[in-house]
Amino acid sequence: MAHIVLIEDNPQTARMATRLLRDRSHDVQSFQTGEEGLLALFSSSPDLILMDLGLPDIDGQTVIALIRQQPTLAGTPVIAFTAWSPDVARNMAKAYGCDGVIAKPIDTRMFAQQVEAFLHSSPVEDSTAKAE
Amino acid sequence: MSSIQSGRVSPSVKYDRSQGLYVPARSFTYDELAALYNQTRLDYIVPMPMNGKRMADYVQQYDVDLDASTLSLAEDRMPRGVIMLALREDRSWITRLGLVAEQRRHKVGQSLMEKSIENSRQRHVNRIQLEVIKGNEPAYRLFEKLGFTEIGELKVIRRPPGMPGLDIAPAVDSLTPLDASGIQECLSLRDERVAWTEETSSLLKSRDLRGMAASLPTGENGWLVYQYSAFELTHVALNPAVSEDMALALLYSLHKQYPMHDTKIENVPVGHTAVPAFRALGYLDAFSRIEMVLHLR
Repeated sequence: MAHIVLIEDNPQTARMATRLLRDRSHDVQSFQTGEEGLLALFSSSPDLILMDLGLPDIDGQTVIALIRQQPTLAGTPVIAFTAWSPDVARNMAKAYGCDGVIAKPIDTRMFAQQVEAFLHSSPVEDSTAKAE
Repeated sequence: MSSIQSGRVSPSVKYDRSQGLYVPARSFTYDELAALYNQTRLDYIVPMPMNGKRMADYVQQYDVDLDASTLSLAEDRMPRGVIMLALREDRSWITRLGLVAEQRRHKVGQSLMEKSIENSRQRHVNRIQLEVIKGNEPAYRLFEKLGFTEIGELKVIRRPPGMPGLDIAPAVDSLTPLDASGIQECLSLRDERVAWTEETSSLLKSRDLRGMAASLPTGENGWLVYQYSAFELTHVALNPAVSEDMALALLYSLHKQYPMHDTKIENVPVGHTAVPAFRALGYLDAFSRIEMVLHLR
């Protein structure tokens, strides 16, 4: 079981992601804005952060940049969760220090495994891509 | 919960079957407008969601006229789409056009566009401008059908935090911060056409606008103005016809001063003379917009 922080403003996507991960016994904390997510992250040590790049208050990339400046979160995998085109998403994720990308919309059959692959450092092929 | 979030707007608004129902954006709070806008953009190429505060800033900074901006409603008062219209002198700018997914392909977008063109005519506008995200073919075709023509391509670029590499450190004779009057003076010298969001009117309404001026050993002088916030630098403007060397010197100084800041620059024209400097400093392309205009007179 892993502690996963999900920062995603689309309620349907957040509900779906949370349900799929909880079905695999993961502990999921979900936040709809960058500010709420950051406040929670500064006082917790999740095993993985799943980060929407388009948020209503602060851009997802800016949130990731702030996460990466926190020494306590330096080693925590951050996965960009986005509908951007694969090339742009990969380049953006790499530049901002993400460990990988999971493409939207959610593939319900694969999603939990895609996330778990980053927990175990062996990424699933196809819609999941390592940033480096 | 607001009326928009709950799905319906006030039942006191009359519905005309032949005309549909159009309600000025003025009738709603910024939170309600942001909620509807977000609802229309969930599956867009680049969703760009907003909250009420961002919406309020957007309206203020870009001169959006809420009386000329419109929501379209269905007979059951369910929102179908939104469009915003900003006004400056004899020009207007169409922005934030969004349609709820199930209302697409029912000519709602066209009716909102026609409403905005009509609102522009009534306000004695000569030229309407807009941008469409590159790759949004249905929107592009609609704008073409209504008479808009393409005039250029703009890039949205961003740079993650980080100290610029010393290997590209340019030689600078002097570097001085600009005060508010210096910033105004520099911006008043701009004579090149820029996107609506980067016009001097937009920049002067930005919170915490800062700037710097530089001289190079060659005798060349230049300046850079930007919007500062705690985490992010935005709205970066350089002096007109900036040289590659000057752009590099100014941007290098900016990122050396704020190595922990994320930077986002909207609407850089493709082919701008500063593009090589942006590249050298690690800026990445996020997405592109196509700029289009319609002349009414």
